[in-house]
Amino acid sequence: MAEYRIHMKIIGDILATTRDDLQDENGASVTYLIRKANISHSRISRILKTLVSQGLLEQVDTKGSNKYRISQSGREFLQAYYTFTNFADDFGLSI
Amino acid sequence: MEFLLENILNLIGFLVGLAIGIMALIGFRNTGSPTLFRLTIAFFSISLGFFVIWMGYMVEDFVMKSGSIERWIQTLGIAIQTVGYFFIAFSHSIKSFFPKSRYFRSIGIFPLFLVSDVQLEHIFRSVSFILLAYGAIETMLSYVENKNKGAISVAVGLALLALGEFLGWYSFVFPESILYSASMIIKIGGLIALFIPVSKVPLTKIKFDEGLE
Repeated sequence: MAEYRIHMKIIGDILATTRDDLQDENGASVTYLIRKANISHSRISRILKTLVSQGLLEQVDTKGSNKYRISQSGREFLQAYYTFTNFADDFGLSI
Repeated sequence: MEFLLENILNLIGFLVGLAIGIMALIGFRNTGSPTLFRLTIAFFSISLGFFVIWMGYMVEDFVMKSGSIERWIQTLGIAIQTVGYFFIAFSHSIKSFFPKSRYFRSIGIFPLFLVSDVQLEHIFRSVSFILLAYGAIETMLSYVENKNKGAISVAVGLALLALGEFLGWYSFVFPESILYSASMIIKIGGLIALFIPVSKVPLTKIKFDEGLE
């Protein structure tokens, strides 16, 4: 059955990919993130822009293309996200 | 004995509700999740409701010394708690309270008819019972889906609170029996069960991220 993902879960998936599942040491490309997070190009572009502006992701220019990797703030946010996902799960809810 | 139990229950209820409410608030500030916002309102309301009744007992005990708490204070506290229970149930989608089946609809409003001609307090207790029972069932169903052990504790906590509310309401039929004391002990057990999963949240790792909207 198809599962509706809330905005917060998509952000969590993107950050988790850039933390745990990088292509190389420079980070993950947009195409790679689209595939991993299962999201459209236009939507991920907006989200990546927000995450970079908030300091959760670092944008790295490599050979004319942009790659993304998680920042220290992003790691802390992801940790808090998992903590409160579990908290909501305890109440039978999802954040 | 009842006076002491009431004080313990309301103080624990105030502290547990406050602790869970603060945790949900921190979560809301970190993630902006509407679910956590509803939980924040729910548990701050529950905490405030217990606090109002506790303060009522304190004022009665140390200032007025009349031997019994003002009825309207008790009713006000229970009403505020009911608002909190509503938000817990609402988080599980309130639409389940209005089933399409005519039979279930009549069962759902039956307790309200039973108490419609008595005090407001009875109505609030019966509504609280329905909301808590619904929350307990939904939480248990989520455990069946996700196998998250914390959900068992919360479901048991909500179920004990529901049972406590029911016995507290039913004790008006037998005012001199042990029912009311039993209801308070059961509710204290329910509050402790609610707090168990929250006490395991690693507070030291939580940090505010105020910039993220």
